[in-house]
Parts: sequence; C-alpha cells; structure tokens
Amino acid sequence: MTVGTESPQLERLKAVLAEVADLSHAQQILEWDARVSMPRAGAAARADVASTVTQLAHGRFVSDDVGKLLADLDADGHDPDSVEGALIRITRREWERASRIPSELVGEMVQASGLGVAAWDDAKGASDFESFRPHLERQLELKRRYIACFPKTDDPYDVLLDEYEEGLTTAQVEEIFGRLKGELAQLVDRHRGDSVEDVPGPFPVERQHEAGQLVLAAFGYDSESWRLDETPHPFAAKPGAGDIRLTTHTDERDLTSLFSTMHEFGHGVYEFDIDSSFARTPLGRGTSSAIHESQSRTWENLVGRSPGFWQWFYPQLRALFPDALGGVDEVSFVRSVSAVRPGLSRGDADEVTYGLHIIMRFELERELLAGTVAAGDLPEVWNARMKESLGVDVPDDAHGVLQDMHWSTGLFGYFPTYQLGNVISVQIWEVARAALGELEEQFSRGEFGPLREWLSEEIYRHGSRYPPPDLLRRVTGSGIDPEPYLKYLHAKFA
Amino acid sequence: MTNPKVEQLKERLAETQDLTKAATLLFWDQRVMMPPGGAAARAEATATVSRLAQERFVTDEIGRLLEDLRELEESSDYDSFEASLIRVTRRDYEKATRVPPELVGEMSRTSTLALAAWGPAREESNFEALRPHIEKNLELRHRYVECFDPPDETYDVLLDNFEPNMKTAEVREIFDELKEELVPLIQEIGDAGEIDDSFLHGEFDQDAQRVFSFDVLRRFGYTDDEWRLDKTLHPFMTTPGHRDIRLTTNFRADDLSSLFATMHEFGHGVYELGVDESLARTPLHSGVSLGLHESQSRTWENLVGRSRSFWRYFYPRLQETFQSQLGSVDEEAFYRAVNRVQPSLIRIDADEVTYNLHIILRFELEQDLIEGRVAVADLPAAWNAKMHEYLGVEVPDDARGVLQDMHWAAGGFGYFPTYALGNVISVQIWERAKEDLGELDERFEQGEFGELREWLREHLYRLGRKFTPQETIQRVTGGPIDAKPYVRYLREKLAPQAV
Repeated sequence: MTVGTESPQLERLKAVLAEVADLSHAQQILEWDARVSMPRAGAAARADVASTVTQLAHGRFVSDDVGKLLADLDADGHDPDSVEGALIRITRREWERASRIPSELVGEMVQASGLGVAAWDDAKGASDFESFRPHLERQLELKRRYIACFPKTDDPYDVLLDEYEEGLTTAQVEEIFGRLKGELAQLVDRHRGDSVEDVPGPFPVERQHEAGQLVLAAFGYDSESWRLDETPHPFAAKPGAGDIRLTTHTDERDLTSLFSTMHEFGHGVYEFDIDSSFARTPLGRGTSSAIHESQSRTWENLVGRSPGFWQWFYPQLRALFPDALGGVDEVSFVRSVSAVRPGLSRGDADEVTYGLHIIMRFELERELLAGTVAAGDLPEVWNARMKESLGVDVPDDAHGVLQDMHWSTGLFGYFPTYQLGNVISVQIWEVARAALGELEEQFSRGEFGPLREWLSEEIYRHGSRYPPPDLLRRVTGSGIDPEPYLKYLHAKFA
Repeated sequence: MTNPKVEQLKERLAETQDLTKAATLLFWDQRVMMPPGGAAARAEATATVSRLAQERFVTDEIGRLLEDLRELEESSDYDSFEASLIRVTRRDYEKATRVPPELVGEMSRTSTLALAAWGPAREESNFEALRPHIEKNLELRHRYVECFDPPDETYDVLLDNFEPNMKTAEVREIFDELKEELVPLIQEIGDAGEIDDSFLHGEFDQDAQRVFSFDVLRRFGYTDDEWRLDKTLHPFMTTPGHRDIRLTTNFRADDLSSLFATMHEFGHGVYELGVDESLARTPLHSGVSLGLHESQSRTWENLVGRSRSFWRYFYPRLQETFQSQLGSVDEEAFYRAVNRVQPSLIRIDADEVTYNLHIILRFELEQDLIEGRVAVADLPAAWNAKMHEYLGVEVPDDARGVLQDMHWAAGGFGYFPTYALGNVISVQIWERAKEDLGELDERFEQGEFGELREWLREHLYRLGRKFTPQETIQRVTGGPIDAKPYVRYLREKLAPQAV
C-alpha cells in the first residue's frame, strides 16, 4: 500500500515540517544579517535570539507527535521511490539524529557559535590566537558532548561527517584523501619552479562588481530573486524559496572576488532550482555538503577557469580594466588565474594545492577532537604542517590557523566535504559533457543555459529526495571516485 | 537572593522576546534587503514566528507564575525590577489572553489584504476600492473591543494599544485646547505674509545628502558599532536586538526633507538604545508608549533639528555641500524656510503647527467611524470638509486626501493621536531638560548634543516600560500631560512677531 498525499498523518507531518522550515528560514536571516548587515554591538543579543529560535525549532521537531506520526506512516508502508517516501525517510533520519540531542545542548551550541564567530573575527583582526583559544576549547567540548549523544561508531568523527554527508565514513575519506595526497604533492612539486606572473592590478571595486554582474547574468542570476553583497567571508544562503543571497569579498588588488562569486552562484543555483513543491519540507534543500560543493566548484573552476569561458569573457573583462589588462593577452591571463602557487590561504588556493589545505585540516581536526593536539599548541602544529605539506612559512596566525571561520562556529567534519566536492564535480562533469557535447564551444559564445538545465534536471531539482550516494550513482553510475578528478588535474596541469 | 519563580518567568519571557526580535528582523529585512521573489516564503516565516511568539506568551505556565508572584509584587518596592516586571507582564498577559487567537489571525490577515489594496487605491485615487477593506477592519475592531470589559468609550480600547491607560476623553481635552490655540495662530502667520522657501526645492544629490546626514547623526551620537542607516521608501526605525539600532530614510532627490526624517528616526533609535541594559530580554526593554516615543523623535527632529543653534553649527557645512542651491541663502533665510508654516494637504510634509490639525482631524474622524456617526462611504466627504474647516485647504482628490496614510488600511485605529501627543510631551520634557542643563543653545552651536542625550537617557530612556506612560511623564516632568508648554513653544518660535 502506498501513502497518498491525502493521508491525514502525512498532512499533519507536513504542517509541523513547514513550521520547522519557517523557523529555519528565520534562523538563516538571523545568520545572514549577522554576517552582512548587523552592527557589531548587536552580536550578544543576536546569539540569544538565534539560540532561542533554533531551540524552539529543535523542540518542535523532536516532539513526540512527530515520532508518533512517523511510526504511523511507517506502519502504513510507503513506496520508497516516491516523493512521499523520500520525505518520510529523510524526516525519520533527521528526527532520529535530532532526538538524541538535548534541547539545552542545541541552545548552547548555537550560542557558542555566535560568540565564537565574533571572537574569531576580533582574534583574526589582531592576529591573536590566545584570545580565541577559549572559544575553540568550548567548541571542542561541545562537539565531544554532541558525539557522545550517538551510539559508538568505528571513529567518533563518523558522527560529524554523517551530519554533512549521509553515510560517509572516516575510513572512506582517509582512503580517498590517501590516494589524492601523494598525487597532489607530486603535482605541486612539478610546478614549484613555474614562473607564472601575477597580473597586477589595481582592479577598481566598482568595475569588479560590474564584471561579476555580467557573468552572473549570463549564468542565470536575476534581481527578482537574487542578491549579491559584500562580506569579509563569502557564503551563500537561501532564507526562503525565491530568495537567494550570494556574498563576495572584493579587493582591488586582485580578481579573486570574481571566482568566489561564481563559486557562490553554484551554491545558489542548486538551491534556486529545487522543485518548488519541496518548499517548507526537508526535501527543499541540496542533498549534502559535498554535492553542494561539487556544484560551486563546477561553476567556479570547471566553467569559470575553462578556456571557453575566457574566450567569451576576457574581451569584456579587458574592456572593464583597460589599464591593468590592456597589455595582457588571453592566454597569459588564463594561465595566470590557473597557475599552481603554493600559498598560505585556502580560500585563494589554486585547484591543485587546495586539496592539500583540506587534507591538513581534516587531519588536524581529528587530532583536536581526539585530544592528541591541544588547542593551545594548534598554531605551532599548523605552521609545521604548512611547511611540510606546501613548503610555505606562516608569518602570523591571521594568515595561518585563524584564516577560516569554521571551527569558531563549531563546524568540525565539514572541511573534507570541500575536497570531496572537487572530486565529485569532475565525475558529474564527465557525464554532462557526454550528454551535451562540446561545452567549451557553448561557453565561448556565452551560452551556459544548456549546462544549467542539464544540471538542474539531473541534480538540482531533486533537492534532498535522494541521499548523496544514490544521487551520485543515478547521475554517474558509481560512488565517489577520485580517478576522474586526478585525470582532469593531470591533463590540465601536465 | 533571586526568587526562582522570577527566574522562571524571566526565562519564559526571554524566549518570547527573542522570537519577537526575530520577527522584527524578518520585517526589517523584507523592507530593506529581501529580493521581491522571497515575499511568499517570507510571509509564511513571519506568520509562524509571530504566532509562536504569541503562543509562547499566553501559556498557562506564565499565567500561573504571575499568580504565584502576586505576593512578591505587593511586598516589593514599586520601583523595583521585580515588581515592575510582574506588573507590566500581568497587564500584557491579561490583554493578550482576552483576545482569541482566531480573531488575532483574522485581524492580521485582513489588514495584510487591505494594505495590499491601499497601494493601488491611492495610486488611482480610488477610494471605492479600499472601502470594503476599511469596513471589514472596522467590523473586526468592534469584535476586538467586545473582548474587553465595557469601556467609557469604545475608542478607549483601541487607544490603549498605542497609548496604554490613556482615555479618549483626556486626549479630546488636550486636542480641543490645541485646536483652540493653533487655528488662530495659523491665521496670524498666514496674514503676516509669505516666507520664501523656494531654494529648498530643486536637485539635491543623494550621496551628498547621505554624507551630510551621517555628519549630523554622528554628532548626535550614532556609532557604526551600534547603528545602521539604510534607504527605504518609507522611513522607519527598528531594533532587532539590544544595541542593534536600525534607521531608514528615503533621500528624496528633489528636497532636503529626508534630513529631518533621519533626525526623527534617530530620536526613536536613541530612546531604544538608552533603555537600561538590565531590562534586556524582558517586556520592559522598549519605549513605554508611542506618544513618548514620538516625543523623542520630535525632540531630535524639531526641538533640536529645526532650532537656530543647530543650524548655526550645521548651516555652513550644508551650504558647502550644496553650494549651487544654497550659496546665496543666508542662515536666517534658511532657518525661516525650514520652519515655514503653511497649511497643506499631506500630513507627513506638514510643518510643526499645522501637523497637529492633520492629527486632530484623523482622531475625530476615526471616532466617528467607530461610533458609526460617519459611514465609511461618506468618509471622503467628511475628510474634505474638515480639511477646509481646520486648514482652509481644498482637497483635489482622495489620493491627496483620505487615502494618503496607510494606518486605517493596516487597522491602526487609535494610532494617530499619539503623533500629536508626542509633540505635546516633547516640549514638557524639553523644558525640564533646559532647567537642569541651562542654555542648550550654546552647546548646539558648538555641535555638541551629548549632554542633552545623556540627560534624556538618565531621566527617560533608561526607564523603558517599567512605569506606565503617565507615571513616566510624571517622573520626568513632575506633572501630568499638559498642552500649555507646547503651545507656548510654538507661539514663541513661530508667531509673526517672534520670527
């Protein structure tokens, strides 16, 4: 027997889920605003408000009536391939996870995150790790309490990974990263002597915004449903259906903002194209962090660093920056924005060294959680590892251990999904190319619609209907496989 | 020793306050930031968060706590935090539990629809399109009034939502006095001849206005750490959290009115920012009433922002900013122009004197509507007749007449009087401030406004909602609400022999 949409239990379940989704919408506005528009002094009150809203949403979701509704719906049986089946499955998964966490811990985590981010921001500004250390310790303590809410797994880190990437285990990540690490190090070594010159600026900020708008418009951004703001640490948010918010950070010394804008577009378009009937349910968002990242990387790197894209866009860019680019031809420009340059910053890293930044963080956060590296020793260990894996010397903590906000907000287990996203992006890309023919040619004419539509049809519209491994298998016929990605890197950086 | 029940009550109230702040931010974001495509989802989110804030407040648990705490309230000092918290929460709770959630929902839905109809109706100057919505709003107000004990006048119940504890009869008495004094004053000013303000109309670069506005705001006490200012169609102030004050203004390209709007909103903001920090996350942590709130926006807009001494400091800067428009206008001519009294059609553009008559007209008409003395269909005619009687102006169409304000579409019957009450109260407080601080003009001429701001914080802002509006006025000014100082101020400043 299948459950139809008219099932009263399902209707009741959807009503609760809609309320929870509304609270999460509010939560996202609270967070977006804190990062884009809130005056600094508002941080303490904001931490309280965010904590209350999250606790309330959590309390509403883990209530007994949701458990009862899920039990009734299970007893009725449902077709696991139907949308209703998917909704019940994902709700059950989230309900079972959420029910394990006491509401107080949820509130504490949100509050620590608000305060942690504010402290991190100050600490980074002053390059003062010591002022941030207590917040990091607090986050680690909360994470350990969080992990303790779950049944014992092979590796405690599994619990964290599973939250962002359903079904993924630490062992799998170790295996994939193990395969990548040696190959990436070799590629870095091969390029160490390269003398690709930076294209010097300045690139006036206003003009960079114009360039960003030109690219976004061609990709499919429109001001009816999207906005783009400046923020120190770019991110994308969807506080409600039809409301997509990208952020970027523009510095007149370089053009990195253009790439981060394309990156965030990838996150935004995934969310925007989700089937509108999934709105206000847990199906109405991207299925996992790694799949999400595969899409931001697709638009940033596979599209935005491709020769075809630049064939179309370089003349326009050069017209916007005649002083800086007048004497730079397209080939040198493309070479410059793709060059392998071991550096300090993950956010600015090239396609090859990026993976090594991630692998290092993956290793460090496991050691932090296990207690084999103490929070107080982190800067020293960080700097040693940077030297070892990328051969660079870290001048200060602002450019080292304090560069990323993730740990300040309690995001442990999240970093690996960035690199898995790179891996997955190429797996999907190969299928897209097989289906769509010569993408580069389309890009060179400024045509990105066919790619977007294909991705939308195969991935975006499904939201969270399929768990990440199932979705990947539907599209590519296999699980996470680093070989296509390595082949892509070897071909591009031969 | 803190009482565990007080702690429990504070915890429950902190939750509802947090939800209210979340709803406040959703509202601000919708007006300032949200792409239009997000409207449908936002309506759902706002409705859910507001409903939950209400539901979490009217719980039996809070009712029981308030009962259990009656003894503590009575045995505590009236001024104490505990007694005030219990007293004010009980009043809010009793009001909130009287009204069935279904009626609250219907009122909110109806006014949302009416507001949507108001825009186009005003655009097309088509009162008929709005009429059924106003009728529905009125019907719901009657059902709302029935939820309460029979009042002396129906309007009392509505007024209480905006000016707690104030009675219609008291407002009427103050407004009759104003009318009696101001109608002849307007006549005198009119007879004395025209004041030239033509240089206030023209092109004023919006970026330059922004820079100048920030200059003023910073002298008033605005800091980037606690405030922000954005551009919207209709200026407003809101505070989505303690020490997070958000002003909006419109920067009109063809006059300087937005500068005054900005100072007005600053007054609302500085009041909220000044509420004692220890009241945060309780229902005491906001301005006490709309009338008191408006007294502060008017203080900073008019008593400060339209004073000679303010312009003594700022006019050279303004002149420099707008050389081509103001280069040949001297300070005195500019001062007279921004204080020009001239009967006109639109409330929000009205001067300090005629503004009050716009309000009195609305106050009288909305009572007529509630009492059924004027049918909604006859409202435009009644409006136009009163405009002629009080201000001597002829209303050319409903867009510039009865349709100009959104309040009745939004269901805000009882709101209007607080604007003029604010004017009245502003001068009462101002006089007390001057008694304590001496001549403020000298400080303003130096661009120094900190002493005034600190005095207001110490005497008014920090109190928040601990006391009723009446008690608050009594504590700050030493007497009850009184129109005389205000009338005296207007005469001294604006009567022909004074100018």
